[in-house]
Amino acid sequence: MKDAGEETVTPGQVLGKGSEVKAGRGAYLSCDTVYASLTGCRSLLPPSPQSPDQRPTVEVIGHKAHGPVPEPGCVVIARVTKVMARMASADIMCVGSKSVREKFSGIIRQQDVRATEIDKVDMHSSFRPGDIVKASVISLGDARAYYLSTAQNELGVVSAESMAGGTMVPISWTEMQCPLTGQIEQRKVAKVRA
Amino acid sequence: MEFVSPEGLRLDGRRPMEMRQLRAELGAVSRADGSAIFEMGNTKVIAAVYGPREVQHRGQQLNDKALIRCEYTMANFSTGDRMRRPKGDRRSTEISLVIRQTMEACIMTHLMPHSQIDIFVQVLQADGGTRSACINAATLALADAGIPMCDLVTSCSAGYLNTTPLLDLNYVEDSAGGPDVTVGILPKLDKVTLLQMDAKLPMDIFENVMQLATEGCKAVANYIREVLMENTKQLENRRGV
Repeated sequence: MKDAGEETVTPGQVLGKGSEVKAGRGAYLSCDTVYASLTGCRSLLPPSPQSPDQRPTVEVIGHKAHGPVPEPGCVVIARVTKVMARMASADIMCVGSKSVREKFSGIIRQQDVRATEIDKVDMHSSFRPGDIVKASVISLGDARAYYLSTAQNELGVVSAESMAGGTMVPISWTEMQCPLTGQIEQRKVAKVRA
Repeated sequence: MEFVSPEGLRLDGRRPMEMRQLRAELGAVSRADGSAIFEMGNTKVIAAVYGPREVQHRGQQLNDKALIRCEYTMANFSTGDRMRRPKGDRRSTEISLVIRQTMEACIMTHLMPHSQIDIFVQVLQADGGTRSACINAATLALADAGIPMCDLVTSCSAGYLNTTPLLDLNYVEDSAGGPDVTVGILPKLDKVTLLQMDAKLPMDIFENVMQLATEGCKAVANYIREVLMENTKQLENRRGV
């Protein structure tokens, strides 16, 4: 139920004096007054006890939720689009457990595929286009793509289709088998906890 | 031709200081991030906002702020005779630029670097004051999309016919050949972001007309705020807050 203290505000409305409150999300400070910049509910957050600045933070929660954005250190689920000699491109589809609103590009470099013998990695034996991989974001990367890594046991190919078209079953951390033809294909497989 | 009768009534029965009826609706285009329909009397405009999203032309990307793009079009059926308008004609390009600069002044672009915000405005029915209606509709659509703004931008036009300042001109009064002043303001911060006039006016009369248009803008701002509050309350009710 809505708190009696919360009220709806629109952009430009005054939320408080700059000397009394700090501007949080959805608010900004101009000429010693804090104004709202979004339409939504105004809420007051108490200051943390350790900080020297004891002003409460005022923030405005808008009703439009924007999709999640990958941050360094989070685990993402991506679909491999291109496999090249020294890297593989993937489209990030989920961040954690939430799916993204707009797809982000990621790159898995040869040295980030696994933790051991990183210079002897063959990209085509690790990923194929169309594979669904679980990877972690190392950094924001360059203007074109995030840098992803599968260098952990729990990261790697989660689901893949064989050349015959069947969904493959993992056998070991480097091999997956097609249930229709029995053919074994090489991938960097993720250890999914049962 | 008499635009203000001796009793003080205009051609459509309004008083000189009276605005036309305002009506607004949020969320008309479900696919867009934010959208609004805004009506000022018979002028009806629809605005759709997409963004912030990834920049489509890498070369135009700005490192420190968001790129704002705006497109103004008039539907074929918007005026009296159905006319096919070319997309890049001079009037459309000019009004697109005017709306973009006006909105850019109030959107907090520094919070969204490397991204793009698209504002599409289309006139469905034109009866004077389309520029103002477009800016008001764009403000509502941006607020609906949750894009941070430092204040709402509202706009209104005023003119001077038969020695009387008139607020919110319709098409007949606009094509009379008298001056037409369009003002866009940030109502709470009390700042002007748009000021345009065609034809000439003596300085003291201009100040009166601009003051009248500014008051009209403040009235539009009050209405827009009510619409946004009402819409937010409805959304909260649906979510069960």
